[in-house]
Amino acid sequence: MMELTLKRESSRIIAGLIVSFGLFAILPLFIGEGYVSLVNEMLILALAACALNLMLGFTGMVSFGPAGLYAVGAYTTALILIYTKIPFGIALIAGPVMAGLVSIVVGWFCVRLTQVYFALLTLAFSQIIHTIIFQWYGFTRGDDGIVEIPVPAFFHSITNYYYFSLVVVTICLCLLWRIVNSPFGKTLQAIRENPHRTEFVGIHVRRYRLSVFVLSGFFLGMAGSLYCGFNKNVFPNYADMMKSTEMLVVCLLGGIHTFLGPVVGSVVYMVLDKVITLYTEYWPLVLGLVIVGLVIFLSGGIVGFISEKIAVARQRDTG
Amino acid sequence: MLRVENIKKSFGKLLVLNDVSLQIKKGELSSIIGPNGAGKTTLFNLMTGHLTPEEGRIFFKEKEITGHSPHDICRKGIGRSFQITNIFPRMNAYDNVQVAVMSWKRKSRNIFSPAAKMVREETEEILDSVGLGDKKEVTAGLLAHGDQRRLEVGIALGSHPELLLLDEPTAGMSPEESLRMVEFIHILASERGLTLVFIEHDMSVVFEVSEKIRVMHSGTFIAEGSPEEVRANDEVQRVYLAEET
Repeated sequence: MMELTLKRESSRIIAGLIVSFGLFAILPLFIGEGYVSLVNEMLILALAACALNLMLGFTGMVSFGPAGLYAVGAYTTALILIYTKIPFGIALIAGPVMAGLVSIVVGWFCVRLTQVYFALLTLAFSQIIHTIIFQWYGFTRGDDGIVEIPVPAFFHSITNYYYFSLVVVTICLCLLWRIVNSPFGKTLQAIRENPHRTEFVGIHVRRYRLSVFVLSGFFLGMAGSLYCGFNKNVFPNYADMMKSTEMLVVCLLGGIHTFLGPVVGSVVYMVLDKVITLYTEYWPLVLGLVIVGLVIFLSGGIVGFISEKIAVARQRDTG
Repeated sequence: MLRVENIKKSFGKLLVLNDVSLQIKKGELSSIIGPNGAGKTTLFNLMTGHLTPEEGRIFFKEKEITGHSPHDICRKGIGRSFQITNIFPRMNAYDNVQVAVMSWKRKSRNIFSPAAKMVREETEEILDSVGLGDKKEVTAGLLAHGDQRRLEVGIALGSHPELLLLDEPTAGMSPEESLRMVEFIHILASERGLTLVFIEHDMSVVFEVSEKIRVMHSGTFIAEGSPEEVRANDEVQRVYLAEET
């Protein structure tokens, strides 16, 4: 059985983050702006997926509605920037803060339920958020979306925004990594493994579930805010089912029981997306087949599969 | 230490516990026996907050705990193990116990400090005491059944209970494993000064370990006393011990 604790992963992840940061930092020297933009999208998707995975992989809470909180972050930043003269930096921070606040309300209801009922309730709230954005023309501009959001001139350069995203995403991933390796993170894993038993070691499980819902919402909001600044446009489909599915698939693709799984998943997902759409317009069909293949043949995801193979090889060497 | 007063509990039309009262004194090493369906586990579930009684009250150290949540009751000092092994299967043995110790030390909410070296001494001491010191890196779900049962007790000890309730600690164990568990219960009671109550079907274990035995039948206590007194009780002979032989 695969060892799910993160202790052994720790040093590898620190080294991996440093090396990855260096590689990503020099990337714009070798590739064109179009690809820089693509990598930027991938970084933001990786952050969103890691935020979701805090709930999904580390606490065992399957959410079908992460896109709702992602959209709250994106729209909060967008609305502040178009309606007020508040500086970009504050608008960017306001996104995750608002997403965190909304998560407290949504989470308060959702964590009362577990398993499929929890999942359906998260989907319902995400649809509510989508509907509010879609219908409230006077404020959110409905299905027209909010376009040409004013961001500082410095960020009109894709490369400059890329470096900004890289720093923000790296900081957020480091924070998430600290969280999953903290006593709180370990308690979340215990809740995932056996919530009933966790209650009997003195843990108020529902309160922990709410805490992780809010934390996850905060980082999802951060990803949404970051994407708003990058795209300079926001649309209601940020909150729709397809966006939530995208995040879930990224997590499953990389592996939900490893910290880096969603990061690897986002790279593979973006590559698949761009390569496959070169050859066929039926990308969703291919995506469907990828999901079927994943669930049947690669339930631990790419990183999970590799980790398992390495563990077996090590056991063979020592045994 | 623990006082149960006139507890009544039913599931639908089935009355599982009918006017049950008991008093457990500090330092007591006692057992509850009775045929299947007598209501023993339900009583444990009521004492630990997993279920709420319809009538009656429960006091721990003279403070009422009736209807309190399991995590609250655990914090007050009552730990338990379960009839069916109840551990964190995909975490290693060390992490299983560490989670409980961190909770007891109120460190579980710490969000940024690394957990790796936290409460190491206490965790290893508990693992050593349950005989799993050399298996701390082993994934809990891969441990032998007997080791899993001991790990479960280790998790309960992590919460530093004053009263420990063990629900069939030797269930599914081989005779050798049962013997080790009996020794282990003796050591627990003597070295840690715990008040210990266990439910058990294995009569050799019950009579070997218990200072006091309570016998349940059809949701009520029918006898209470030393092993010799219980063995000599006619009603116990009729409803329970006769079935065993």
